[in-house]
Amino acid sequence: MSEPLGLAPIILALPLIAAILAAICSRIGLAKIAHVPLILACAVAAVLAILLVLKVGEGDQHQWVSDPITWFAAGNLKVNFTLTVDPLSSIMLAMVTFIATWIAIFSSGYMHGDKGYGRYFAVMSLFVFSMCGLVLANNFLLLVAFWEGVGLCSYLLVGYYFEKPSAAAAARKAFLVTRIGDTGFLLGIFLLWKMGGWNTDLTVLFQYLAQNPPDQAELTTACLLLFCGAVGKSAQFPLYVWLPDAMEGPTPVSALIHAATMVTAGVYLLARCAPLFAMAPDAQVIVAWIGGITALLAAFIALAQTDLKRVLAYSTVSQLGFMFLALGTAGVISPVFAVTAAMFHLFTHAFFKALLFLTAGSVMHAMGGVIDVRRFGGLRKLMPVTHLTFLCGAAALAGIPLLSGFWSKDLVLESLAAASESDRPYTGAYFALMLIAFLTAFMTAFYTFRAYFLTFWGPERIPEEAGHHAHESPAVMTIPLLVLAVGALFVGIVAEPFTHWFSHFLGHTPSLEQATLASGAKAIEHHFNWTIAGLSTGFALGGVLVAFLMYRKGTETLPAAIEPVFALSRNKLYVDEIYNAAIVKPAGVLAMLAKAFDGFLDALARLTSSIPRFIGEWVRPLQNGLVQFYALSMALGLTVFVAFVVLRVTR
Amino acid sequence: MITLWHYLAVAAALFGIGLVGFLTRRNMITMFLCAEMMLQGVAINFVAFARYHGNLHGQVFVMFILAVAACEAGIALALVLMLYKRGKSLDASDWQSLRELGVPPAIDTVPLDIEKPEAEPTLAPAGVRPTLTASEEAARV
Amino acid sequence: MNLFSLNPTQLAGGQIALAAVLAVVGFALLLPRPRGRSVAGGIAALIGAAVVFAAFLYNAFGNPMPDVIGSVLFWLFSAGALGFGTVLVTQKNPARGAIAFAFVILSTCGLFLLLAATFLMAATIIIYAGAIIVTFLFVLMLSQTDGPSNENDRSREPWFGALAGFAFTGLVLFTLYLTHLRTTSASEDGEVAQRLPAPVLTTAERLKLADIVAKLDAENSQLPADSTSMVDRSRMAEHFEQIKAEIVTVVGSTEQSHVGSLQSRLGKLSGNPGVVLRTDEQAVAVLARATAIRERNEQVFRDVDNFVLNDPKHKSQDEVQAELRGLRDDVLLLAGAAELPARNVGNLGYLLFTNHLLAVELAGTLLLVATIGAISIATRKGAIA
Repeated sequence: MSEPLGLAPIILALPLIAAILAAICSRIGLAKIAHVPLILACAVAAVLAILLVLKVGEGDQHQWVSDPITWFAAGNLKVNFTLTVDPLSSIMLAMVTFIATWIAIFSSGYMHGDKGYGRYFAVMSLFVFSMCGLVLANNFLLLVAFWEGVGLCSYLLVGYYFEKPSAAAAARKAFLVTRIGDTGFLLGIFLLWKMGGWNTDLTVLFQYLAQNPPDQAELTTACLLLFCGAVGKSAQFPLYVWLPDAMEGPTPVSALIHAATMVTAGVYLLARCAPLFAMAPDAQVIVAWIGGITALLAAFIALAQTDLKRVLAYSTVSQLGFMFLALGTAGVISPVFAVTAAMFHLFTHAFFKALLFLTAGSVMHAMGGVIDVRRFGGLRKLMPVTHLTFLCGAAALAGIPLLSGFWSKDLVLESLAAASESDRPYTGAYFALMLIAFLTAFMTAFYTFRAYFLTFWGPERIPEEAGHHAHESPAVMTIPLLVLAVGALFVGIVAEPFTHWFSHFLGHTPSLEQATLASGAKAIEHHFNWTIAGLSTGFALGGVLVAFLMYRKGTETLPAAIEPVFALSRNKLYVDEIYNAAIVKPAGVLAMLAKAFDGFLDALARLTSSIPRFIGEWVRPLQNGLVQFYALSMALGLTVFVAFVVLRVTR
Repeated sequence: MITLWHYLAVAAALFGIGLVGFLTRRNMITMFLCAEMMLQGVAINFVAFARYHGNLHGQVFVMFILAVAACEAGIALALVLMLYKRGKSLDASDWQSLRELGVPPAIDTVPLDIEKPEAEPTLAPAGVRPTLTASEEAARV
Repeated sequence: MNLFSLNPTQLAGGQIALAAVLAVVGFALLLPRPRGRSVAGGIAALIGAAVVFAAFLYNAFGNPMPDVIGSVLFWLFSAGALGFGTVLVTQKNPARGAIAFAFVILSTCGLFLLLAATFLMAATIIIYAGAIIVTFLFVLMLSQTDGPSNENDRSREPWFGALAGFAFTGLVLFTLYLTHLRTTSASEDGEVAQRLPAPVLTTAERLKLADIVAKLDAENSQLPADSTSMVDRSRMAEHFEQIKAEIVTVVGSTEQSHVGSLQSRLGKLSGNPGVVLRTDEQAVAVLARATAIRERNEQVFRDVDNFVLNDPKHKSQDEVQAELRGLRDDVLLLAGAAELPARNVGNLGYLLFTNHLLAVELAGTLLLVATIGAISIATRKGAIA
């Protein structure tokens, strides 16, 4: 069991067992303890995953692929059930299970007394299982299966309060919008299957493509199709619209699924397929552009949102855009560096964004379900722990120096800078993207601290829904907050800037080494870039300062000059309206035409079906229920038939 | 000389008589007897062919017919008994409710020509005043 | 009979049609119903139908008369089966119908016996008459209603039913007739075309062998006690010589025909006139028996000659007569070799447990399942309303 490959199935099985146990618990009237299996399973899995990380890091071998078990096979298509353990998947696994443990503990307090308690924990366990499977899968179709599994769990959890029409609609929207991306994802897999010598195993496929370089146009198409899936899952432009609506689910769900883990699946997918993307620079620049546009757009929309969770949701979209920015440079610069930057940002982002969502949940818990920042304020005194932990998370997100967000954002910016200075095409584009990233960093700091000041500063205001028991959350909720706050503050500084542990660890990943080989980009010696660090610090502190000046009173009073900008932001740049006019309305007209045509076809079909009915009416009396009459008909029929045969044959 | 053909012809006639009985008789027990008679016709065919070919395969077939007939008799009689318990009648035409909607049921219109015979006279138990029938009441004055 | 100068096919078809129509009329008149039932008319029509049917059998498939005892029994059992069958169908009272069915079974068993199926005869009597009919009677007793009832005194569509049944039967008979014509009519080269596998001995051969047996019996009885006192030795010796020659020809031709019947057919098929022996065990046994008779023939007739011609070394009369009887038995066995194996039960069992073992197992399982099913159906709680 000490073999890395032996640990992976155990980690995978634990949450599945927890899901079954939780479902059983909620069936047999033990719903009150449904959280126990999930917490235990996640805790054990997290310990095992950290052990796994330690094991993978040492020694010479850095990748283990399980023996293939044929899942199904048809013709050329052979789908194996294979798992892979390498630095990339092990660090992701550790992150997922660790965050999930604390969120599960938080949930047991947050969801206390809810009537769907058992259901909640069963689906959460199923989600953790699917996510672990997604991370470990070494086969594209297996990956798709788990990919859809997390999508399903997301659907179930977003629609957790399914009695609420808005929650049901949000769940449906999340499912359908990601489905658009998944279609592209599947097409990309089919294309890769054809290109890659009819293989579907990731490692085998990459090996094959490395030895048989594919047609450039085909490869670019395949990469872009894969990216489609990532765009849908990771809520990138233009498919980001589902994520803010997905905040209808319980807040811990938003923290786990829509901030820390599931939405990063797209980033993980691209990191995993780095050997492909490194060979397709045309695709890469599109990835980078999509990431940049998303980062800027979401940050702009987040500026004026008044719903605390929506601010965080748009900030998630924006930060995911940052990760894609970094991924988009792989191939232009060393893929190891680019993927490290993206994965490191993913890693730190998981901590501080989960923390922010949980504190938002804590606020919401205390405020009786109200999440609109205009309706409460000055909670600093009332909820000291929540206040402090939110401040930690906000500071990390804003990129205040020495906190984890600062280091990871710095890596992303560095990768962009390196890309703009490289000898490859598109350097201009990468330079523009770097500017966009700086602008976004400024806006990020601004909207984060806007939300912070509006919530915790100024005179104390409490909405009437909170009643008289507005209080700090219980320990079961604050302890996870404190743990994650420590993570948000220090995980960055511990993991990378001085020890370079993270980049060295990820650098061992065989697929990244292969990508580096394929792209031919030279490795970048990691050095601290004072210019970039200084600039990003300046932008971040500037954003915080502006927010402080505008919102230190805890209320929003806008100067007339920037009111139109905020109106535009508040209305989300009218993107939903544009989609409605450009896609939904024409589809409605098309549907109406189709309905009319369908009516015509129905009329034809009814006419056809009325003919046998008419004949049936005529011969109906034959079916008179008398058994002997039936026997008589049979004998007569047989006689006629035999007579026909005999007379024809003898003639 | 009696040939195969004589036997085949007799078997066919036996089968035909059984078929007519099966088609026309309404007593379920008689129907089953007729079906068994059809089986006998088939059995004669098999035995005659066995004789003609000079081997025993036809006779083996008849053995199996015997087994199947025994099964059939057991199951069918159990079913008949159950139907009788339900409907107090052995008439196969009583069970016609599985006809198409809107098709009128087949009802016998011609009355049965024989009146129900009067119950045989019985003696009242000693010490009990006999209840008189209507005819006896009329004759009593 | 042939009043309208019809060809044989038309004649047979007409007979079948007439018999069928008469049977339809008879059954339709006899079937129980409240009105219009005519017992006398029905019986008359049925007798007419039976006569026409018998005439058809005689006309189409040959005169069964030469084999007197066999044919009498055949007519008897056939008439019994069909007659009691008619009674079963037309009898109002189902209990009497069941008795009539018992007689149908007995007659059928008689036919089985004529067809050398002794075991089946016994089994059928035991199973049908002993078990099935008794069960039927029990059920009848459990479910009988008093007085006239719909089920016993009415029939469902008597005319149509009888028409359908007998039209079908008539068709089958006509088909039989046509098939009979084809399989026995002479083909182009004058040879009788046998569509079905040929019997081991032809009927003609068996008749000749039976004739030889009769002659041997006759001569054997005339053999004088003491050969010295024999009056007309030469005539006697001549008779024996004749019989000997006859045995040689008949047995020889039997052997020849066994080698030849398949030879000619296969030779025609494959174009290769090689000798192909029939390989079935019965044919092989017949060949062996024929060879044994030929060898024994020589020996026996040498002894007989010695005796008749009063050779000094001749054997005693008892010995010679015993030898002749032995030869006669052998010939009789050969004549009977075309029949089914005499050890009917043993051979049937052998066949059941070698060739049809799986089917036997299945039939046993089926019986078990049927037993359980019948019990569970009959004891269902909901059934007792």
